Amino acid sequence: MSTKTMRMSQLSHQFLTKLSAIVPLAKHWLYKFHGGIFPDYHKDLALKQPLRQGYMPKKLILPLQQHMGEPATACVKVGENVLKYQVIAQAIEPRSVPLHAPTSGKVVAIAPQPLPHASGVAEMAIVIEPDGLDEALTNPLQQDQLPPNNKQDPIAAFKHTILNAGVVGMGGAGFPSYAKLPNQPGLVKHLIINGAECEPFITCDDMLMQTHPAEILAGAHALATAFQIPNIIFAIESNKPNAIKAVRHAIAGQASNSVVKVQLVEVATVYPMGGQKQLIQELLGLEIPHNKHAIDIGIVMMNVATLRAIHHAINLGLPSVSRFVTVSGHGLKEPFNIETMIGTPFDELAMLAKPASSINYSLIMGGPMMGVRLVNNHVPVIKTTNCILANPPEPIHQAMACIRCGECAEVCPVNLLPQQLYWHAKAQEFDKTQDYKLFDCIECGCCAYVCPSHIPLVQYYRNAKAEIREQHAQAALAEQAKQRHEARLARIEREKLEREAKLAAKKAAVKAQAAEATPKKDVTAEPATTKLSAREKAMQAAKARQAAAAASSKKADSAAVKSEPAAPSAEDKRKAAMAAAKARAAAKQAKQAQQSDKKSATESVSVEDKRKAAMAAAKARAAAKKAQQESSDA
Amino acid sequence: MHNIYTSSPFAHNNSSVQKVMLQVQLAALPALVVHLLLFGYGIVIQWFLAVATALLVEYVMLKLRGRPLLPNMTDFSALITVTGLVFCIPPESPWWVVVLGSAFALIFGKHLYGGLGYNPFNPAMLGYAFLLLSFPAQMTQWTLPTELTGLHRPFWDTFQVIFFGLSTEPEIYTGATPLSLMRSGLHEGVSAVNVMMSPILGSGWFGLNAWAWVNIAFFIGGLYLLLTRTIRWQYPVGFLGALIITAWFFHTLNPDVYAPVSFHLLAGGTMLAAFFIITDPVSSSTTPYGRLIYAAGIGLLVYVIRNWGTFPDGIAFAILLMNIAVPLIDRYTQPRVVGHSR
Repeated sequence: MSTKTMRMSQLSHQFLTKLSAIVPLAKHWLYKFHGGIFPDYHKDLALKQPLRQGYMPKKLILPLQQHMGEPATACVKVGENVLKYQVIAQAIEPRSVPLHAPTSGKVVAIAPQPLPHASGVAEMAIVIEPDGLDEALTNPLQQDQLPPNNKQDPIAAFKHTILNAGVVGMGGAGFPSYAKLPNQPGLVKHLIINGAECEPFITCDDMLMQTHPAEILAGAHALATAFQIPNIIFAIESNKPNAIKAVRHAIAGQASNSVVKVQLVEVATVYPMGGQKQLIQELLGLEIPHNKHAIDIGIVMMNVATLRAIHHAINLGLPSVSRFVTVSGHGLKEPFNIETMIGTPFDELAMLAKPASSINYSLIMGGPMMGVRLVNNHVPVIKTTNCILANPPEPIHQAMACIRCGECAEVCPVNLLPQQLYWHAKAQEFDKTQDYKLFDCIECGCCAYVCPSHIPLVQYYRNAKAEIREQHAQAALAEQAKQRHEARLARIEREKLEREAKLAAKKAAVKAQAAEATPKKDVTAEPATTKLSAREKAMQAAKARQAAAAASSKKADSAAVKSEPAAPSAEDKRKAAMAAAKARAAAKQAKQAQQSDKKSATESVSVEDKRKAAMAAAKARAAAKKAQQESSDA
Repeated sequence: MHNIYTSSPFAHNNSSVQKVMLQVQLAALPALVVHLLLFGYGIVIQWFLAVATALLVEYVMLKLRGRPLLPNMTDFSALITVTGLVFCIPPESPWWVVVLGSAFALIFGKHLYGGLGYNPFNPAMLGYAFLLLSFPAQMTQWTLPTELTGLHRPFWDTFQVIFFGLSTEPEIYTGATPLSLMRSGLHEGVSAVNVMMSPILGSGWFGLNAWAWVNIAFFIGGLYLLLTRTIRWQYPVGFLGALIITAWFFHTLNPDVYAPVSFHLLAGGTMLAAFFIITDPVSSSTTPYGRLIYAAGIGLLVYVIRNWGTFPDGIAFAILLMNIAVPLIDRYTQPRVVGHSR
């Protein structure tokens, strides 16, 4: 962008900002995505208090699953003493991340504990009783001992380190960060640092940007260097002037020694600006195509807290064991932001904020728009917990009929027709909901926020999505069962044939032996020619079948065990070839014996011949297959 | 029953159906006042009659349908329906006209379809169409503006006229509306320009007739609704836009036979429809483009019916016809979802 156009856009932006003070509609012209709402933010509640640090809870509850993917596997025992940063659960399953002890102490339990989740289910967690010493392990990530194949490849090393450090997306989704990154350099064109923080009440990212802007930038630079990302954009909503100032200052300080200059963009304050799709639309004017990810269009977006965790892992060699959390809400007298250890119970933090009345209501994890109301308040802060919200319950508005006012469609950031989705979801017409692009709904809650009939729209969409997923799962299970059944039938049939073939081959062998024992007689020329042609045909057919069987088994073999070295398959081929040769020999012998039998009629002989050859071939096939199976099992 | 505690969002902008309906009612006040000043007390009596009917009908129908009374009686949707209807009825028509119309609108227009939110047709216009088809004599004889007749009937007299029909010389005090005048004038071969100069059309405050003033009052109320974002801009823009373009086109083509744009904008129920009737979201299209098409379709049909139809004002029929087309419009005007190609 040239300076002149930039100046113009700045001017028009200033004008629109002023205009929006008089005409509320003008607010919508300050950003690029559709819809959006302007709720009461209440951000000053927690921002009024300074950042708190160093709270030591009595017990830390560390769920094995704090991210999207598979849970980690505990590698400590009850009664064991652990040091800060020590790995207490390993990433054995794919798409899992390890878990580290946030402080030194003793493992007092490895048992199911209530999780901060809407269902309130209890899942396996490691409970640590801190000893208060906060003794740390030195060099916890052991970056100097990278696997040999990672050493040459900076990207593999980078991903290995952040996986080992247990870094997951801290903005809310909790996707393992290493899994978000490509395996080759140059695929990422833009790194977007997400400091929008558009949810009301939440200010933990704001506080982090104010207090640790250089660490965020260091994480971004480490990422940009490893993946050769040419462009870094740092996006902050306009309602965080202090964070903007701090980040601008930090960028100025780093400009001289950094490869990529960070571009700071002040984005309009509108919910849900911090949504990945919306922020990308706002900053780059790009839409992530349906069923694609940001990385598919060359974009990686990271939350500020995630980038700080990356900085800690890559530059300091420290795993992810703490995070910034906002403790706020109308039910608290002294809301605050705190840097606290993962595993700190919600209720303890809420008590620190001096509740106005006893908290006999459910706390919310996250903000009021997309947060989760807890079933149990004694749940731990996990890696994705950005806010603990204590809002006393308000009187429930009874949901009324939809008047099709379309207010929901006006505010939908993905331009859906929420009223139509609701209509079909309510009627359980799930195929229709998919026609109206149900799965593009980001569940931001804008529609329900503005609904004059107070219909819990998002809940209908969540239900519909769950129902559809359930239906798909059922259909997949049914299909699997069907395939299994068919495979079983085929196996039974095959085994029957194999048994028959074996029996026939044995019989043939016995007969052949008997024939060899008897003296040879003269062969008449005329029947021999006809016999020969029949024999030839049979043999050709048998050969063709054999070849087909060998080819198919070879294919199956290569598909099933790709990683297997070439030797066994070569051996297989040899075995199969040998078996085939044997079978051929047996067939020949059998035919010879038949041939020598002068008494039998020409027709019957040829038929017998064919059958025997086929049987022998089947036997050979079976043998070859068996050999194959054995080698692949090995 | 939905347990809203289990699922986000936990915040709301405090809007409600009641607030929306009251906003509309509030915006109709200027028109009510102008009407009162220019046509006498008739409108007030009719409005109270309609509201009483609405309360009774709502109560009985909710009882019959086995629905809870409180939330449905207090959604104020029936109030808006009957208010829309009252402005379409001659202010001194007999009491049973408005009672029948209101009852028909609410019973057949709303409750029999399943109540608020489920009716395919605009209930007020359904009630009006029913009245116009059943009682054309009562529906087409309008009370003339007091300015013209010089008769300022006191409240009690108006009451008696409505309830007992005591008016001695009805022909003097009632007459045709501007739309009817234009129709009959053109029929008799008088040019549109000359019809415009007739005393009923051309005189009044600042040279504008009483019906024009009511329309202006509705326009002002409508602007309020637009600014408070109670109604969507697509409705008035689509409707008035289509009406203006068609009227301008035909007037330019032949000014003798086709009335000017200003006449169409300020006659009949143009502004009432533009801001208060077609904006009923339940029976209109829900997509942004769909609303524009829906409103433009009504504008076009209104012009067609006014000029070539048998009824003096085509608004009710235009709206009902476009109500039928709503599912089709909705289907073909779905917006492009982010991340999808058209």
